[in-house]
Amino acid sequence: MVCAEAREHLADLNRGQLGADLTEAVRGHVAGCASCRADLETDADIRALVRAQVPRYMAPPALHARIEGLITQPAGRRRVAWWSWLRLHPWSVGAVAAAGVLLVVWAGWFSRAGDPVSRMTSRAVAEHAGYVKKVMNRPVPDPAPILRELRSQVDFPFEPVFQGDPQVQLITAMVGELSGKRTATFVYRDAGGRYTTLFLMPGTGIVVPEGDRMLIETFRPHYRTASGRSLLLWKHRDLAWLLVSDLDKTEVPAMYLKVRKAANPPSAFLPSGTS
Amino acid sequence: MNDAKTPLPAEALSHLDALYNLARWLARDPTEAEDLVQETYLRAIRAAHQFQPGTNLRAWLFQILRNTFFTLYKRKGREPEVMDPEVLDRMSGVHGPTGVEHRLAGPPDGTAGLDLTAALKRLPEAYRSVVLLADVEDFSMGEIARIMDCPVGTVKSRLFRARAILKQLLRDYRR
Repeated sequence: MVCAEAREHLADLNRGQLGADLTEAVRGHVAGCASCRADLETDADIRALVRAQVPRYMAPPALHARIEGLITQPAGRRRVAWWSWLRLHPWSVGAVAAAGVLLVVWAGWFSRAGDPVSRMTSRAVAEHAGYVKKVMNRPVPDPAPILRELRSQVDFPFEPVFQGDPQVQLITAMVGELSGKRTATFVYRDAGGRYTTLFLMPGTGIVVPEGDRMLIETFRPHYRTASGRSLLLWKHRDLAWLLVSDLDKTEVPAMYLKVRKAANPPSAFLPSGTS
Repeated sequence: MNDAKTPLPAEALSHLDALYNLARWLARDPTEAEDLVQETYLRAIRAAHQFQPGTNLRAWLFQILRNTFFTLYKRKGREPEVMDPEVLDRMSGVHGPTGVEHRLAGPPDGTAGLDLTAALKRLPEAYRSVVLLADVEDFSMGEIARIMDCPVGTVKSRLFRARAILKQLLRDYRR
């Protein structure tokens, strides 16, 4: 067997996908050929590195729900989001421009008519429920690589951020979207199996309502409930922080304090943010 | 038979994360990746009558995803990057000195993950996809050939060359 022939089978040899005769022939060649032996080792090394270190992107819960809807709904009832369709059919932009204008007018009216914080928190609760379903029973990972990956995807500084402690552990962190803003999203689980999702996003344009403030030590975040979940909203370090939790009104302050205190910059000389 | 009479097997949903993962590597943007996956499922639903039960549903969906990616990119007037073979040879060092070299190893703190990700992003799409399909998704060479619509020999040679390029790019992490 010559090198060119052997190299063609190296990947299959490492995966045990060669027949007995070919395995013997390739192994025989590799034993006497330093170059092919190095290539065989490279194949194994790179494969092991890729499997161990390349991040796996998980489909967002909203996409999961959309695809599930597509598969399970009868053909006549399938609906695709219009913005998605528009992105995939850019040549039709002219045709839908008029509809777009109407939609913008409608969206403007809708945004004035509704409470933006209510819409944001409703959406956040739905996202939280989706994340919980997704990460349930997932083992506790090492937070460092997760945060490193997130850092490369988010274009605003979100650290320092609560990375978990013996009572509450960080299960996952990912990029999300809330009210048209890209978010750094963190999902935590406590010892009782209850989940808390923290959304961080640039604070510009987000107004924390003055009413319904909860006094937690010296902090006063806005508190509300939605669909049985506790929500806390506050601003700190130019960011808006939205915490959605399975914990009730008596328990959520402790979680808030973990998140809030971990978010302080390390230097004592920096001014503290608003709460 | 049309798509209304032939539903897509429910098992198709279980491949969503894997499809989204490849879509992220192809499209490089979360929103575009979501669109790509959604369009993939729509096309799969429309073509469900062409799928033969008992054959490889996962490979079939990946094939649709990749074809959809190229169709959409052409439609948008964008082409996936194509790299000059000579540049590839220089990157992989296939014409350079050969022989026994140090084996690769990542540092224990996981920083090689970032470096490896960056290195993978530098690979031409056809090479990157072969690596991801072979190593992350565990497809066989034959399945990858079907997904990428090329001969098995081409898949093997792309994988071999991709390994060599990655090794070069990751040389800082050699012991």
